[in-house]
Amino acid sequence: MNAFFSFLWDNLQQFFGYTAFANFSFGHLIMILIGLLFLFLAITKDWEPMLLVPIGFGIIIGNIPFLEGLSIGVYEEGSVMNILYQGVRLGFYPPLIFLGIGAMTDFSALISNPKLMLIGAAAQFGIFGAYGLALMFGFPANEAGAIGIIGGADGPTAIFLSGRLAPDLLGAIAVSAYSYMALVPVIQPPVMRLFTTQKERLIRMRPPRAVSQREKIIFPIIGFLLTAFLVPSGIPLLGMLFFGNLLKECGVTRRLAETARGPLIDIVTILIGLTVGASTQADKFLQFRSIQIFLLGAFSFIIATTAGVLFVKFFNLFLKEGNKINPLIGNAGVSAVPDSARVSNNVGLEYDKTNYLLMHAMGPNVAGVIGSAVAAGILLGFLS
Amino acid sequence: MNKRLYLFLLAGCLLLAGGQAAAQSQSDIRINEILVINNDDYEDDYGHKPGWIELFNTSRGTVDIGGCYLSNDRNNLKKYRIPKGDVLTKIKPRQHVVLWADNMPLRGTFHVNFTLTETNVLYFTSSNGRNIVDSLHFPTGDGPFPVMDYIAGNKGHQVMEKGSIPHYPVENVSYGRLMDGETIGGNNGWAFLIKTTPSSNNVILDSEAAAQRFKEFDPVGIIMAMTAMSVVFVALILLYLIFKQIGRASVKSGRKKAARAGIVPHEDEIPGEVYAAIATAMYLYLQQGEVHDVENTILTFRNVKRQYTPWSSKIYGLRQMPLLTKTVSDNHPTKKS
Repeated sequence: MNAFFSFLWDNLQQFFGYTAFANFSFGHLIMILIGLLFLFLAITKDWEPMLLVPIGFGIIIGNIPFLEGLSIGVYEEGSVMNILYQGVRLGFYPPLIFLGIGAMTDFSALISNPKLMLIGAAAQFGIFGAYGLALMFGFPANEAGAIGIIGGADGPTAIFLSGRLAPDLLGAIAVSAYSYMALVPVIQPPVMRLFTTQKERLIRMRPPRAVSQREKIIFPIIGFLLTAFLVPSGIPLLGMLFFGNLLKECGVTRRLAETARGPLIDIVTILIGLTVGASTQADKFLQFRSIQIFLLGAFSFIIATTAGVLFVKFFNLFLKEGNKINPLIGNAGVSAVPDSARVSNNVGLEYDKTNYLLMHAMGPNVAGVIGSAVAAGILLGFLS
Repeated sequence: MNKRLYLFLLAGCLLLAGGQAAAQSQSDIRINEILVINNDDYEDDYGHKPGWIELFNTSRGTVDIGGCYLSNDRNNLKKYRIPKGDVLTKIKPRQHVVLWADNMPLRGTFHVNFTLTETNVLYFTSSNGRNIVDSLHFPTGDGPFPVMDYIAGNKGHQVMEKGSIPHYPVENVSYGRLMDGETIGGNNGWAFLIKTTPSSNNVILDSEAAAQRFKEFDPVGIIMAMTAMSVVFVALILLYLIFKQIGRASVKSGRKKAARAGIVPHEDEIPGEVYAAIATAMYLYLQQGEVHDVENTILTFRNVKRQYTPWSSKIYGLRQMPLLTKTVSDNHPTKKS
């Protein structure tokens, strides 16, 4: 009888050793709380729920402690989570997301007023501002490049680039990029107000002209040829973005376009969000450099917004009265589509209830997507 | 007719592309280094030291050399067929494989049926047995022949002469490309090498990582910012200029079309936003389906869907109607019902 109870006790002890309670640490608790905070913000505040719900739950999944060797964790070869994580590690999720983005993006605003493209270029200063600062913080150049791309406000691009330049920082960079994308309505308005005058905020822009289907079809073809010839290292992102847009605009591949912008992007978003979240295991994520990355991410967003707004003010010096651009759309140069354009519109409406800037802000917004993909290609070309 | 022509053209292009793609992979293989007399060098699995041939995959993709041929006779290019089905014949990107020139083909896939002392030529032929992918004519006889060393790195490339050999073949001196797979320098990039490097790079790579170099020369990122922002601006300025012209041409052609159709553009045209607002409202009614329709004076669009079940199917429930022909009148076409 004694032997039976001893056997039972040993088994119970062994079982307890396998449970999360036995392997729990303070770091896991913090990460689970961060995951819960993401879920709270997404569900109650409606902040980027499509991203924060998968990432938040992924953080919780990734921080349930377990005994290694059972092929469970995201970093354990052969585990289900590890197989799903390959899309992040090898970088094939981001181009698929770009395919969907291309298939759902209407470039009409940009085509009708092509000078707005330059705002999308100016906002990329955020990337290189953060790059310089990261170098000063002591990060090696490849890691600094991966951190800088947070300023592009483009989650898939950040994942794509950090997977190649600094795989160890991928979790922190991805979570930082998506967090700040969700915080666009909080970060950008004060910067926009700071650098604009009352008179500038009331500028009314000319309504965009109607764009023919032929122009819409030509845009992705020429856009791809031009940008890819200039930055071939950006082909995976640019190719998929413009290909998706061609599917949308050519008018003969409706089913393909609908799949790309519907089920495909949804599936990839779920997988990318969940696995990026799960990759933030406490032992790998809770480090001083993660805090540095978060700080640099915020800095890059502020620089990008400032650069966009100031560039519009500078550009206005050369434009005739009636053709001037409202600097409140300068923030939309960061490629958080369509959030930053929505911020432009909302801030504009605060000062003039009838001045809708959304349509105009979509121009630099989609130009920002192209600009950040080009910038990522350049960083990859120089630093890999 | 036109459609058929397009289809033929398309099929032709696909065939050409397919043929090119198939040929492309094996055409990336290069003879990279040979050792004619091996006395105290690389050893095979049997503990012997025969001469060897190193092949190099210059591409960024894996290439299977199974089915390709090696020969030391121009008139018999199919002298040794590299067996198919061996996983080791798949050469990874930018990697090497060594074949033993010992005339012992029964010892395995990588032992060829000739030696390098028989002739001074070598051919690597694709699996169709006709296309010579790479060939080598190596020097023999009295020299002296210079022995070279090559160092490649970020700080420059250096080819240095390090002594000479009186004649060739000489024991344990290999003949190879200075830079793997490349034809740099004289003699198509071939030279007697200072040391043998079977299954590894012929050149000493003295390079530091690009990122490290960048940080060294650009510690605060100004050069990077200037270069990269210039490229981003150039890309988007070019796009801007192109689409400015395309836009102008489009507006002009739109006006011409309108003039031809007799449409006069009005200054007080309804702006696009109004159409957008109407379209959005209609979309919300149709797609979202969350609006209620109890109030009077509100127009509601609703999708009408007929639920299909086999019980309500006319196909299953009715006989096929007989085909009737009826002439309606002399002035109307004949209708079938």
